[in-house]
Amino acid sequence: MRGNTLQAEMVIRTLRPTWTREMGVKTWMKGGDYAMILITAPAKEKGVAFLKRTKEVWNWVPTLERSIKLPPSMMSQSWMGTDFTNDDLVKESSVVKDYAHTLLGDTLILNRNCFIIQMIPKPEAAVVWGKLRMYVDKENFVEMHVKFYDEDGTLVNVMNSLEIKMMGGRLIPTRVEMIPMDKKNQKTEIIYVNLVFDKPISDSFFTLQQLKNLR
Amino acid sequence: MNMMISMAWRNIWRNKVRSVVIMISIALGLVAGLFIMGLYEGVLNDRLNTVIRQEVAHLQVHHPRFQRDYEAVFCLDSASRLVERIRSLENVQAVSARTVAPGMLATSTGSAGVQILGVVPVDEDAVSGLKQKLIEGEGFKANRHNQVVIGRKLADKVNLRLNSKLVLTFTDIENNLVSAAFRVAGVYQSTNAPLEERLVYLHAVDLNRLMQMEDACHEIAVLLNRDEAMTTAEQQLNRLYPNLLIENWQQLSPETKLMIETTDTYSIIFIVIIMLALMFGIINTMLMAVLERTREIGMLVALGMNKLRLFMLVLWETVILTLTGAPFGLLLSWLLITHLGNSGIDISSISGAAMSGFGFSSLIFPRFPWSSLPLVLYIVCITALLASLVPSFKALRLIPVEAMRQ
Amino acid sequence: MWLLKLAWKNLWRNRSRTLVTQSAIFFAVLLSVTTSSLQDGVFDHFVRNMVSYYSGYIQVHRAGYWEQQTLDNAAVRNKTVESVIANHPDVNALASRIESYALASVDEITKGCVVIGVEPDAEPQITQLNQRVASGRYFEYNDQRSVALLSEGLAKRLQLPVGDTVILISQGYHGAMAAGKYRVIGLVRFGSPELNDQLLYLPLPVAQTFFSAENLVTSYVLSLATDKNLERTAASIHRSIGKKYEVMTWKEMMPEVDQHIQTDKGTMYIISGILYLLIGFGIFGTLLMLMAERKYELGMLVAIGMKKQKLMVVLLVESVLNVVVGCVAGMLASVPLVWYLHVYPIRFSGELAEAYQRFGFEPVFPASTDGWLFIVQGIVVLAMGFLLSLYPLLKVWRLDVVTAMRK
Repeated sequence: MRGNTLQAEMVIRTLRPTWTREMGVKTWMKGGDYAMILITAPAKEKGVAFLKRTKEVWNWVPTLERSIKLPPSMMSQSWMGTDFTNDDLVKESSVVKDYAHTLLGDTLILNRNCFIIQMIPKPEAAVVWGKLRMYVDKENFVEMHVKFYDEDGTLVNVMNSLEIKMMGGRLIPTRVEMIPMDKKNQKTEIIYVNLVFDKPISDSFFTLQQLKNLR
Repeated sequence: MNMMISMAWRNIWRNKVRSVVIMISIALGLVAGLFIMGLYEGVLNDRLNTVIRQEVAHLQVHHPRFQRDYEAVFCLDSASRLVERIRSLENVQAVSARTVAPGMLATSTGSAGVQILGVVPVDEDAVSGLKQKLIEGEGFKANRHNQVVIGRKLADKVNLRLNSKLVLTFTDIENNLVSAAFRVAGVYQSTNAPLEERLVYLHAVDLNRLMQMEDACHEIAVLLNRDEAMTTAEQQLNRLYPNLLIENWQQLSPETKLMIETTDTYSIIFIVIIMLALMFGIINTMLMAVLERTREIGMLVALGMNKLRLFMLVLWETVILTLTGAPFGLLLSWLLITHLGNSGIDISSISGAAMSGFGFSSLIFPRFPWSSLPLVLYIVCITALLASLVPSFKALRLIPVEAMRQ
Repeated sequence: MWLLKLAWKNLWRNRSRTLVTQSAIFFAVLLSVTTSSLQDGVFDHFVRNMVSYYSGYIQVHRAGYWEQQTLDNAAVRNKTVESVIANHPDVNALASRIESYALASVDEITKGCVVIGVEPDAEPQITQLNQRVASGRYFEYNDQRSVALLSEGLAKRLQLPVGDTVILISQGYHGAMAAGKYRVIGLVRFGSPELNDQLLYLPLPVAQTFFSAENLVTSYVLSLATDKNLERTAASIHRSIGKKYEVMTWKEMMPEVDQHIQTDKGTMYIISGILYLLIGFGIFGTLLMLMAERKYELGMLVAIGMKKQKLMVVLLVESVLNVVVGCVAGMLASVPLVWYLHVYPIRFSGELAEAYQRFGFEPVFPASTDGWLFIVQGIVVLAMGFLLSLYPLLKVWRLDVVTAMRK
């Protein structure tokens, strides 16, 4: 789904057995290297922003009027309480580069014909998974469903793409859920509200000064 | 004088029971004192050994600013040359150069903060016995990349086994974030649980490559062949490398130093108590002995022996008994301690506590306390002599007529 | 009956002999009580030092917290539960804490630290936090200001003096963003470098606000009067507050320290054993000499017709009287001795004392005044005395009149 640039407005919903949280988020991304994330809701976190430049991540907190560079120890922590880690934001383990792909067959998901692709990480790849199984729509190559396995073959995470619609001129899943298999009643959902592809953004947008002025 | 001694000697033989009792008291006192000292020395030695030979080594060398925040850039250059130089010094048994990086370990199910050590396996085994600590797997094998050795506690915490894959994330020498995948080649267990949960070992070749450090390291650990050589070795290193930070195990592990000094102090107090027990035992026995001899003493006085001579007689008797009992006691304690020092005393059966599998052995190996030997010997003999003085005085105060009336 | 009279008269007849025998027992009791009391005191003191450092004797958490120490596993404060715990007869003090990791930032420097929200008045009762202040000041009673106490090492790493401000960022309860500015009012010092480099204290309510964890605590920390009933107290607390909580003793939280103590205790048992050996031998020696001295007298008695059994009874009664008197006297005398050692404990000085003080420990050798000790030691010596008293009986049994009266 990565174009050259991507601007999006979305809602990230974190569901846990005993609580649920919704965050409004705006993102700007350029390639795989630069990204800006702005929290728009709830009120307590409004204005908090993250800047990613290649492998470094900064965090801007408006109430403190300070930006902090996240040290490596924070990278494996969950991002804002969701099922994504800071590392997920930063590391772009390339689907192509780090895995060896095998076509297993096809199947139907949500009435769409999909390829089943098995992905085994290359030995040198810095990837925790033992194996991925990806279900990709034959027509428009949307990743409909991804299963993440550990090395013993246990299913650890599942990603589902739902509500495929046209947005920003492309056919994309407007709701993506990430579900950890070992915990009950837990998942994170991303619901896209608005997407703009390939609108040029200059590199100078992705700077610390801009971080403070994001709207 | 001579007559005094031969009289004393005959007295001793005349009353075998009494003499044997006193000799055994002295021997027992020696055994008790030496055994306790030996016990403490054994325990202390064991603990010291663990800290030095399994954890911090005798000395460590760092860049003076490295340990503040563990920033990779404060490294020791030309590590291999440094290692060779230090290895050639007198009294140095083994040297290990380590690259140190704090980082995160991630698996498919969880993550943990760790301290990554890049080592040369052979060197590290020689300094901290890593190979002996392995309970699973065989550790680093030649011609393999990206192997990692982790502690049992860590393995349990994040659910890892032999051959599991994990990803380590850390910063390199230019402060860039680096991630790489490794496979568990071995699981170790040590007596230090907190360390076991945090320390993961990589081959220095792998870690240095990822950190873009060529022939550099962050820490050099030095193991000496004798504990006593530490001060000289430290001074030597300080002269050779005035710009580097040289620390000894006492500075690296102040809690251990505290513990050792505490044990020393405690043992003294209990030795004092044991000696008191011994003293009272001997005094009592000798008092009773004198009471038993009232008739005999009365006779001697009536026959014209002066009080001073009498006093000296009893004193000499004690001296001879001490001189006979002491060697016996020494031999016995040496045998006892050496035997137990080899087979060990099983603490768990004594204190009745369950020593769970922390890698802790529940055996204590007493060591013959050569350094305390003079002190114990001195105390026991003085005790015996003092103990004999009391009855001697008592003997002096006996009035012959009454004595003979007994 | 007349046997008793005879025994009594025998003891009085030869006062020195009686006194010497009794004093053997007397000193035996005195020494064993003192040793036992010192051993007990030392271990109790050591444990107290270890637990008052950080962990407390017992901690109560929401069930599952110890396994996964995250804010999401914090417990909701419950006044009933707190009063049940605080009113438990063995519990000395109760303090609540909330703790988690955070990033501390000053200008360009950012370091990871552990943030602990504590109750300013309750915490010192368990960890003497207020006495560890090395510069600046401690919190005020019921402090609600945005102030922080930093450990010295952390302040040094951040290059932060007292009076400056530190920024904390972390992840709060339920993933909320935790961010705040706090003024440093003081620095605290710990002997252990590990603690000294990482800890940052906030007043509890301030920390709860920071973590968006209002009314939550991650642990209740308890201090007990003594270590002796540790497991029993923990179990009874667990029963009264229910399964939603887990109750952990310091032994479960710091098993390495426990191992260390077990080894030391084992050594102590061996030492006690040796002491008993020496004491026993002292008493035995006395009895040996006693019998040797009375050989003639006993031989005489048997020769004029006294039945050996009756003689044995007499000797038994004498022994019993001696042992009992010696024991009682010993126990009575040891009371003031132990009391004195308790109130004016043996102090050590020098390098060790300095090291102790750096860790915040008192450099003393305390004696325990546990009444049970006196009784146990008294009984042990009593038993030893009685057992050894069998020797005189044996001697009488095997007495050969003719040899005995030969001089």
